[in-house]
Amino acid sequence: MAKLKVEVVTPERRLVQVEADEVIAPGAEGLFGVRPGHAPFLSLLSPGPLTVKSGGKNELFFVAGGFVEVGAHNVRVLADAAQPAKDIDAAAAKKRIADAETALKGLEVTDPRAQPHRELIRREQKRLEVGAMK
Amino acid sequence: MASLRDIRKRIRSVKNTRQITKAMKMVSAAKLRKAQENVIASRPYAQTLDAVMSQLLSKVEPGAVTHPLLTSREVKRIEFVVVSSDRGLAGGFNSNITRRALKFLAEHADKQVTITTVGRKGAEFLRGRGFNVRKDWTGLLSKLSYASAEAVAVEVTNRFLSGEVDAVYFLFNEFVSAIAQVPNLSQVLPYEPKAAASATPGGEYAYEPTPQAVLEKLVPQAVNVKIYGGLLESYAAEHAARMAAMENATKNAGDMIGTLTLFYNRSRQALITKELMEIVSGAEALKG
Repeated sequence: MAKLKVEVVTPERRLVQVEADEVIAPGAEGLFGVRPGHAPFLSLLSPGPLTVKSGGKNELFFVAGGFVEVGAHNVRVLADAAQPAKDIDAAAAKKRIADAETALKGLEVTDPRAQPHRELIRREQKRLEVGAMK
Repeated sequence: MASLRDIRKRIRSVKNTRQITKAMKMVSAAKLRKAQENVIASRPYAQTLDAVMSQLLSKVEPGAVTHPLLTSREVKRIEFVVVSSDRGLAGGFNSNITRRALKFLAEHADKQVTITTVGRKGAEFLRGRGFNVRKDWTGLLSKLSYASAEAVAVEVTNRFLSGEVDAVYFLFNEFVSAIAQVPNLSQVLPYEPKAAASATPGGEYAYEPTPQAVLEKLVPQAVNVKIYGGLLESYAAEHAARMAAMENATKNAGDMIGTLTLFYNRSRQALITKELMEIVSGAEALKG
C-alpha cells in the first residue's frame, strides 16, 4: 500500500519525518483523517491531538496550532509548537492555566488584553487532554 | 632601556591576554556550532511556509484574497530594526552593521525613521550618534528562541497595522560562512512573498476554513519566521566573527611573546657580557 510522507516541523526544528499509513489532525473545523491519495488540502490547525498511524503503531503528538498541507502522498504539518504526547508536563500546563486565570481576574471581559490569556487557557487545556489520552 | 624586570612583567601580561583570547575563541567556537545547528533546524519550516504561501497566492484568483500586511501604502514613516550583538570583541561584526545602519539612515533622512534595536552594541552606538532608539531588546540574543523573536516581530507588526509606520526594514549580519558575514538589509513589511512557482504540480487546493482565513494566519507567521531567521543568522555570524577575531588576537599575542622573549634574552646576555668585561678589566688594572 502506498505510504504517506509525514513531516512535522516547528519554527525551531523538524520534529518528525516518517512514512505513515494515516494521519489524524485537528483541523480548524474538527479532526480529520488523511490517507494516501487525499485531495490537495490546506487547513488551519487548532490546538489538539495529532495522530500518526503507521503499521499497527500510533504516535500521538500535541500541536498548539499552525497549518497542515496535504497532498496525495505527503502531509506537512507546520505547527506553531508541537511535542510528543508522552513528554507533556501536566503540572507545568496546570500552572500556566492558573497563572492565566489570575491574570484574567484583573481584566475586564471586553479588554483586548484578555484574549491571549483565554487562548492560552484553551490551548493548555487541550494539552492536558492530549496528555491524558495516551 | 627597559629593565629586565619590566620585560618579564610585560611577557607575563601578554601571556595572560593570550590565555583569555584563546578561551574566548573556544567558547565562541562551541556557541557557533550550536547556533549553526539552530539555523539549519529552522530551515525546513521556513521553506515549507514559503512554498505553502506561494502556492496559495498563485492558485487563488488574484485579488480574491488580501491581507493588510501585504498592502503597500505611501511610505512616510519607517520602522528600522537593527540587529547587533550584546557584547563586543567580535571584530568588525558590529561596525559593519552600524556603518550600514548609518548609510540607511542617511538615505532616508527625508522620512521619519524610528529605530528598534536587538543587541546592546547597536543601541549604544546609535544613541551615541544622537539617534533616538525607540525600543531596544537587550539580552534577547543570549537566550534566543522562537518565542522571543515572535515578540519582536509582533511588536513591529502591530505598529505597521495601527498605521504608526508605513514600512518596516530589517538589518542583520548574514552568516555566509565561518569567515564571512555580510550585512543584509531587507524590507519586512509590507510583506513581499517570494515569486510564486506557478508550475507546482497538484490540483486545486481545498482550504479550510477559507483561503482568506488561512492567509490571515500565514502572513504574520511568515513575518515572524523571517525575523526569527534573521536573529538566528546574526547570532551565528556574531560568534563566527568573534571566533575569527580571537583567533587573530591569540596569534598576535603569540608573536608578541616571541619578540619580547628574544629581546629579553638579548638584554640579559648583554648585561652578563657587560658585567664580565667589568670584572676582567678590573682584574687587568690590578695586575698592572
